[in-house]
Amino acid sequence: MEEEHSYANDPEWASVTPIPLDDGSDSGAMPLATIAYPPEYLEATSYLRAVMAANEMSERALKLTEDVISMNPAHYTVWIYRAKILFALDKDLIDELNWLNGVSLKYLKNYQIWHHRQVLMSSRTHFPTLPPKELDFLMEMFAQDSKNYHVWTYRHWLVRHFQLWDLPQELDDTHTLLKADVRNNSAWNHRYMLRFGPRDAAEPDAGLANAGDMTTSTADKGRLPVVDEELVDAELKYAQEQILRAPENRSPWWYARGVLHAAARDLEEWEGFVGMFVGDDGAVKSSHAVEWLADVYAKSAGGERRPRAVDMFTLLKEKYDPIRKNYWDYRIRMLDQVAV
Amino acid sequence: MPPIAATGHRRKVRFPTTNLPAKSSIATAHKTRPVNRATSSPSIGKMASPSQDPRPGVPALFTQPPPLRDPLVTETIDLQDATREKCLPFLKGIHSSQKEPFNACGVPTLQRDDHVGYLYDSLEDYPAGFVAMDSSRPWMVYWALAGLSLLGEDATRFRERVIVTLRPMQNPTGGFGGGHGQISHCAGSYAAVLALAMIGGEDAFTLIDRQAMWRWLGRLKQADGGFRVCEGGEEDVRGAYCAMTIISLLDLPLSLPHDAEARNAGLESFNSGLAEYLSRCQTFEGGISGSPGTEAHGAYAFCALACLSILGPPEETIIRHMNIPLLLSWLSARQYAPEGGLSGRTNKLVDGCYSHWVGGCWPLLQSALDGRPQTGAPETSVGSLFSREGLTRYILGCCQSHHGGLRDKPGKHADSYHTCYVLTGLSATQHHHYRTNSSVSSSKTFSSAFSWRSSPIRAEDNVFEKNDRLSPVHPLYVIPHRAVENMRLWSEARPLRV
Repeated sequence: MEEEHSYANDPEWASVTPIPLDDGSDSGAMPLATIAYPPEYLEATSYLRAVMAANEMSERALKLTEDVISMNPAHYTVWIYRAKILFALDKDLIDELNWLNGVSLKYLKNYQIWHHRQVLMSSRTHFPTLPPKELDFLMEMFAQDSKNYHVWTYRHWLVRHFQLWDLPQELDDTHTLLKADVRNNSAWNHRYMLRFGPRDAAEPDAGLANAGDMTTSTADKGRLPVVDEELVDAELKYAQEQILRAPENRSPWWYARGVLHAAARDLEEWEGFVGMFVGDDGAVKSSHAVEWLADVYAKSAGGERRPRAVDMFTLLKEKYDPIRKNYWDYRIRMLDQVAV
Repeated sequence: MPPIAATGHRRKVRFPTTNLPAKSSIATAHKTRPVNRATSSPSIGKMASPSQDPRPGVPALFTQPPPLRDPLVTETIDLQDATREKCLPFLKGIHSSQKEPFNACGVPTLQRDDHVGYLYDSLEDYPAGFVAMDSSRPWMVYWALAGLSLLGEDATRFRERVIVTLRPMQNPTGGFGGGHGQISHCAGSYAAVLALAMIGGEDAFTLIDRQAMWRWLGRLKQADGGFRVCEGGEEDVRGAYCAMTIISLLDLPLSLPHDAEARNAGLESFNSGLAEYLSRCQTFEGGISGSPGTEAHGAYAFCALACLSILGPPEETIIRHMNIPLLLSWLSARQYAPEGGLSGRTNKLVDGCYSHWVGGCWPLLQSALDGRPQTGAPETSVGSLFSREGLTRYILGCCQSHHGGLRDKPGKHADSYHTCYVLTGLSATQHHHYRTNSSVSSSKTFSSAFSWRSSPIRAEDNVFEKNDRLSPVHPLYVIPHRAVENMRLWSEARPLRV
């Protein structure tokens, strides 16, 4: 059996004086939430402190970061140090990505990995364009956890960085994921940003167009300056198709609301479609359809359909979504305020 | 090298090594949960068959599946079904692991002693398997002390031990890292500053190098108004909330240090462009994401709304920067039946920690809707817009671990992260948080952040017992009001000259 590697016995590390851990134990008072670290970890991190203090950019330091990561990938400091070394030594970042793929699949919940990937990928020198296998690897991650927040955050950054909004694979991938699980709200969010997210690199990114502009009322956040009606129609059609697959799924309903709002079009235009899910005989197939109708009725001209809005909110409150009773009551109270 | 292993008289933590606590930072709140049915215990749902009658006092809303169900089954529905089946026996009050007594509403009592014991233990020595929390030790201290304060325990008894724990984590270049030799991080600094506020006293406050902290935070401020979590780290809403928490509690100067890079982009103050940045994090769903363009998420919603409420009065800052009807709708939709608990995102599962991240948004929004505070006690209020009963039932019924500590959901282990934030959420359902015209702070900046008061809700529809009422915590800083006030006043009396 191979002997455990020890930094203390390694000639390559002979020149380094490790900085031992100070977790407060030497103080005399007992520090809190201490950890009985494995000796290998204690040793590696004591050398890490030493090379970091000297800001050493070397091959051995790079190897050391890999060693520490293998024992504790949640150690955010070691990732940031590693990125610095990679750039300082002008390492092959494709190799780094390949190594990172394995680490990502091993530690699915880790998020330092994803920021590290973004730091590498943001180097225009190394990655003037999107590396060919990047999106495939993200789909591999989504196969493990289709709602992984950090992977989606990275993918959103990638779209903006490489201007991938109209790359067919982007939309195809969200569609593939929605085909597998139409309730994947992360995929819906990504789709919304592909279709309606701000694209101007000179402007800061935003979830909604106009946001952060103090001259715009918050009610107008999300309104597009220029509307492509064909695109809007296509997305509304897509949302309807997905709603028909599972009408009680909140995601496509709110996607559609977002699309209509972006285009400054009224909820009313869906009244016919929505009505299909709220039968006159009280046969309701979707609570979201009931809420949609309530909003349509609430905004009716002259308030003549407002009593029907109350009926809809009451239906939600008493039958289809009673855990939110206080909220539905509030919505009913707000109807009166509008009337005044 | 100092001996790390526990000295002879130190208690060991009670957790099995398989029970790794949540990893570092507020980020744990948005940790993703891959489908892993192998680690949860499938037997739990079966221990009580769904046909078994609930205890008296439990309404049908909390014992029946929702009225509408689509035939199309996907992974989301599988997980949702499995969660509901696991929760139902607990909601009905008939699971064998639940401890007596139950009250007339069919809700089990809060096992105070168990939870207090659990949190005291959580501050002791962890076995080697917990190496993954090496960067979270400031959090472990904060979570335990905040949880203990909620349970009425005196955090100041740990004064000396907190100080020796945090001292090696502070960097001479400003801020606290997750441990000795780790670079300073907003999350670790947030946890450290709040822990020091809770223990209080001159030694605790003077430990913090405020001048260096100010310089370090200046290096995190970004041209778009937001903050990175650490130098070279990601920029997100956590960074903003943690930074403004530290700045306001320590009364650090608002003007950016002269060497701050954001100055090159024309920014002059820590506040510059920040509210606009947070506004850009609202999504088409109405909720708030970690950074602009990503999915709306409960933990980030709290960070953003709390940050806005530090920047100024919620009726101004939240109203001015958020589409309120959209935000209310999304926030309200986070509560599910029959579980009664809160979820972090659309089509994700309930999790006890969102009792705080999502539940904690409500007092801030309520304050925004109530408008400018009146003199004296509040006369009119928009009132509670979520089901306090549902959340209380979920917390007391589903989140209490048999051996003490609180958890995400039945089938999961307790950890100090969940214990802290589930208790915080329970406290929020039990108190009315409102602002007054009088601020503890004499300075104009942030005065509204220090004007919060709380009073116990004594409604007839409370489903918890009198003895189960926790202490209130400050709705922005998530530590006791007194701790907030003492640190702010101490800092104000010692203005930094820069």
